[in-house]
Amino acid sequence: MGAVKIFTKEQCPKCPAAKDVGDRLKMTGVKVIDYDLGTIEGLAEAAFYGVMATPTIIVEDGEDNELAAWRGIVPTPQEIEEMLRANGLFTS
Amino acid sequence: MEKTEEGKVLRRDNETTDMALFVRTSDEQFSGWDRQRIVDALIKETEVDVVTAQEISREVEELIASSTISMVTSPLIRELVDAKLIERGLEQERKRHTRLGMPLYDVDQLILHPNKENANVPHGPEATNLTLAERIKKEYALLSVFSEEVADAHMRGDIHLHDLGFIDRPYCSGQSLEYIKRFGLSLPNSIAMAKPAKHAEVLLAHMVKFAAALQSHFAGAIGWDAVNLFFAPHLVGMRDEEIKQLAQMMIFEFSQQAVARGGQAIFTDLNLYWEIPRHFEDVPAIGPMGEYTGKTYSQYEHEAQRFAWFLFEVFKEGDGSGRPFFFPKPLVHITEKFFRTRGHLEFLHHICDVASEKGNTYFVFDRGETAKVSECCRLSFKLDASDLEDAKQPWKMRYCALQNVTLNLPRIGYLSGGDDRSLFERVEEFMDMAVRAHLEKKTFIEKLLSYGENGPLALLAMERDGSSYLRMHRASYLIGMVGLNELVQIHTGKQMRESKGAFKFGLKVIAHMKLLADQLSERHGMHFVLEQTPAESTAYRFAKLDLQYHWQKAHHVVKGDISQGEVYYTNSTYLNNGAVMNPIERVRQEGLFHPLVEAGALTHIWLGEAKPSKESLANFVMKTFNHTQNDQIAFSPEFTTCNRCHRTSRGLAEICSYCGSRDVDGITRITGYFTRISSWNKGKIGELHDRYRNQGFLRVEGRDERYEGEMVPLISA
Repeated sequence: MGAVKIFTKEQCPKCPAAKDVGDRLKMTGVKVIDYDLGTIEGLAEAAFYGVMATPTIIVEDGEDNELAAWRGIVPTPQEIEEMLRANGLFTS
Repeated sequence: MEKTEEGKVLRRDNETTDMALFVRTSDEQFSGWDRQRIVDALIKETEVDVVTAQEISREVEELIASSTISMVTSPLIRELVDAKLIERGLEQERKRHTRLGMPLYDVDQLILHPNKENANVPHGPEATNLTLAERIKKEYALLSVFSEEVADAHMRGDIHLHDLGFIDRPYCSGQSLEYIKRFGLSLPNSIAMAKPAKHAEVLLAHMVKFAAALQSHFAGAIGWDAVNLFFAPHLVGMRDEEIKQLAQMMIFEFSQQAVARGGQAIFTDLNLYWEIPRHFEDVPAIGPMGEYTGKTYSQYEHEAQRFAWFLFEVFKEGDGSGRPFFFPKPLVHITEKFFRTRGHLEFLHHICDVASEKGNTYFVFDRGETAKVSECCRLSFKLDASDLEDAKQPWKMRYCALQNVTLNLPRIGYLSGGDDRSLFERVEEFMDMAVRAHLEKKTFIEKLLSYGENGPLALLAMERDGSSYLRMHRASYLIGMVGLNELVQIHTGKQMRESKGAFKFGLKVIAHMKLLADQLSERHGMHFVLEQTPAESTAYRFAKLDLQYHWQKAHHVVKGDISQGEVYYTNSTYLNNGAVMNPIERVRQEGLFHPLVEAGALTHIWLGEAKPSKESLANFVMKTFNHTQNDQIAFSPEFTTCNRCHRTSRGLAEICSYCGSRDVDGITRITGYFTRISSWNKGKIGELHDRYRNQGFLRVEGRDERYEGEMVPLISA
């Protein structure tokens, strides 16, 4: 079971849009985990994936392996769903 | 005065003094006994009341009179007075009355035996002077500059205050050659001033002299930015042989400065660029005699590249006996523009050739199109708008780190008992203590600077360009760490290399430190940055102290050989030195910490006796740049140098392969520089035994390169 990891921080102009995408994915049953780079947990996870810009959205395979990433940009929920589907992680 | 033998002073029972006794004073004189001197000193130094001072002086006088002491010295009198202060419970007064110095036995040992705390200090009279001065200043710092709480935290080994023996100076500095190009060599207290250099050789002479002056005002590294570029206007019209000669002069001058402070070579970093850094492209170039040439630096690419090329030719040849130069250290900045600059591949192969052959090259990765400069301690930072304005007048680009304070992370692990919350709270406590130490040092240095050009830091207070040479408002304050790997091991039961969970916990600890550093910077209006402390002796000191105070837990995690005393903690955020892993994967994993650690971030690739091809190393460097976040890498070969025939061979051996002598010494990188292994402390010797030399991955020329394989993910728990 993979997950979509969304990295945001305060005062980041595009971050609210990324969070919206995350909320919409959650409604379709996708596992979404939010990380705030202003927290220990968020910054550590961001470092693990080499996140250098916010917002960043990463799709991982459940083993922390990165399958796809959007760094500094916000994809549509459909783009993420397609990626999940292609990797057998989206069943709806 | 009568003497029975040299050095012994006898009492006399005539004269007019109450007690006919002579004292050997610190002024190298015999002085008649005068009790009032005790009274005066007590009032002046400790501010006790007159009555108490007189009482103490009488008691001390009686003690001496009733004793059979044959030789009275000032230190002895002071000790007796101190005992009287203690009897009265006057602890603070005793502290203020303390005499700093060393026992006779220790001085004897010091003069006879080399100092192994810093492998860059040779053994000789000048080095002994340095160590003696350091010992006294260290005591002074702990008694007088720092609060008792900070001093005690250092003594316990919770934190380490670096370079206490240099308490009256900043830690390290980043310099611009443009300063002496524009203003010449005009130093406070100097008996002569030199106008800006007309010829390249003179510019070099100015640089070397200025570096020596700076070395006596900073504790650590002196870094020079864009050296090849700033020399370029002086190189116009010079033939290749002349430029090579200049390169030789530069490297030999900085490698043979054994007549400088304490007989040390100046810890010199030369920052070099193949391309013209973007922030200098349109900057008017300063040429001979400090005059503008009418061109910008972008028009000096050819000369800058020629100089960089020849510097590496000299590095490749090595010193007079083929050994690698220990100093200066060449740091080549690899940027996006580097790969767009003509000739970059040939240059990359050239510097990789040197890296493989001698190990000198440091590859510094400045990714992204934002302008960055590397100052001392390899501290890189992005240039903001005011910095870019400064870059138009590059002599303003002078930076420093005022102090370095390192946290003993394994200690936090021992104290936290496996509880996450407790651990993160203790990290905060230790960080607070480090910040307190920085505030105290800052106050002290500001006091010294306030005396201006007539004061103890005249050089740093000089105002040739309208502002103080030391730009305090741009100072950084370093917070280092030692033993993240062992902290994680204590807390999770696994080392960072052994489990993904352990690795991620390590990231959490450093993320916590990074967030705290940012918050503390905002709160105090100072620039606190995390540093991968070189920890040449700190990793050893912390391990020894923890074996003393936390034996039960520490002896399971301390690295090295406890039975031999060769113990150490894994440095900073590094993975275990002995972990067998693909070097590119080590570079990648260790590099994940680098965006959180602004200063000193580096991964070592130990080569042992292997000599990979320049093409394979170039490939490795490009892979590091493109596929990792690692800030800097260095390849470290090992050598054996013979003290009899003076020849040098590859690898560490007990016998000289040329003459068969057993009088040999090893050479390799200790932390951030090469040196002879015989000068290493026991902790570093322990680490040397453990270093994994990538035998299974680095192949010699002509054979396949196994490390060119895929970028494997972190192992799963």
